[in-house]
Amino acid sequence: MSQGAKASSAITIDKLIKKFPLPGLGENFVVLHDISLTVDEGKFVSIVGPSGCGKSTLLNVIAGIESYDGGTVTIHPKGGRATAEPRIAYVFQSPRLLNWLTVENNINFVLEAQKVPRARWRELVAKNLEMVGLAGQERNYPLNLSGGMQQRVAIARALAIEPDILLMDEPFSHLDAITARKMRFDLMEILQRAKPTILFVTHDLSEAVFLSDSIYMMSTKPARIFKQVSIDIPRPRKPEDSTILDLEKTLVRDFFSVVEAQG
Amino acid sequence: MHGKLPLRKSKRGILPDPVRRMLPGALTLVAAIIVWKAISLAFIPIFFPGPALLVKRIIEIYSDPASYVVVGQTLARIFEGFVISMLAGMAIGLVMGLKRSIEIFFDSWIMVLLTFPAVCWAFLSVLWFGLSETAPIFTIVLIVVPYVAMNIWTGTKAVENGLIQMGTVYKANRFLMLRKVLIPQLMPYIFSSLRISLSLSWKIALVAEAFGVGSGVGQRLTYWFQETRVDMMLAWGVSFMIIMVLIDLLVFRSLSRRIFAWRPQFAT
Repeated sequence: MSQGAKASSAITIDKLIKKFPLPGLGENFVVLHDISLTVDEGKFVSIVGPSGCGKSTLLNVIAGIESYDGGTVTIHPKGGRATAEPRIAYVFQSPRLLNWLTVENNINFVLEAQKVPRARWRELVAKNLEMVGLAGQERNYPLNLSGGMQQRVAIARALAIEPDILLMDEPFSHLDAITARKMRFDLMEILQRAKPTILFVTHDLSEAVFLSDSIYMMSTKPARIFKQVSIDIPRPRKPEDSTILDLEKTLVRDFFSVVEAQG
Repeated sequence: MHGKLPLRKSKRGILPDPVRRMLPGALTLVAAIIVWKAISLAFIPIFFPGPALLVKRIIEIYSDPASYVVVGQTLARIFEGFVISMLAGMAIGLVMGLKRSIEIFFDSWIMVLLTFPAVCWAFLSVLWFGLSETAPIFTIVLIVVPYVAMNIWTGTKAVENGLIQMGTVYKANRFLMLRKVLIPQLMPYIFSSLRISLSLSWKIALVAEAFGVGSGVGQRLTYWFQETRVDMMLAWGVSFMIIMVLIDLLVFRSLSRRIFAWRPQFAT
């Protein structure tokens, strides 16, 4: 693993503000208050916060499916490709697959959307399904797969477009604990090969510590980032390693001291 | 939880399953035929034919090659009216679902069209288009389009926003979104529209033909009506109904089985 001393940033967010209108009150509810963060290229960065703190909204703003009211959001294409539009992939909480299309055609859908030449589709589908452990499922329909397998298809779909950044919104929260744990291990392994830049949102601190290079901790009311932690524990990691558990304990303490202080 | 759940034994009778499933329907049919026959005995056959006579008349009709021309004329009108209605209705329903301003515009028009008496359309078509091919098709289109539009419009309300978001994030263009995300979610609504509009179309076609086209099955019905031959009217009506039911079964059922193959309960 080459750890570049001067990593270039893939996402820069500066003083982002997002408000939702409150119906009938003529007032705006501030969802995101002065959020600033950077995600370096090739890094795994997590945002941890309680439910309803605006984490998903932040991802949606970055993904371009929600507007914002102040500050800047900049996404830099990989390796300083100044010309192209940055490619963004998104793994949602639920798989959000097109159930009427086969697994293969679900991936083809995003390849077509991203204008990837048709000649490459077969290879990209095969490679990414193999990576998530679903080789041979090309012709199957999503509803014949388990929840965990469907989420793997969603991950393969995201990786297939060779994204500059990969957004993940609590992708394992709908899965049972054992499947989720397996998926985390597999994700780590996949990332060793695919190496995209990841912004990962979760409410699970141990998940964040296990997976991330860096963690931003968010509080609610107002939603803001109150702490950033870099995690230099070498990979491959084990969730039960004492270094990981110790860090997790410290962070949990920090977290609740802030969240509970707010009442 | 404690205790044992009572095991539910599947009851197996002497009859094999398919026979048991068909039995109630078959019994109803037999009963209906017996009642029909009994009533028919009280009337003269041309006023209220019994089952055997009806079958005989139907065979007579379809032994005459000219009858196929008559049926063909009507089927062609139904087909044209049906196709135009489906395309127009789907287009209107879709844009209503996607564009708020168009929704407001069409909303009241659809209600007007839905409540306007069908028989008025039949009269108006004859007055406006005379004894032409346009008259019955125009009648079908005006009556069926609002049903289809309404149905598809309802379908657009049930579209899953999460999938639209997914498509948007991955930058699917409008056409791709329509083809792969929107239309498939509307398929159940499109299918119910297909079946409703076919059954409406053929009934309207017969009425329109009866009113004044001078050809087709509807015209045969008027003719035998003027001759007060109920047996011939029923023979035409019932046989045409059977043709339409067969089309529904053979075309739409098998088409829907294929299109909804992705649903696990359809897989074999």
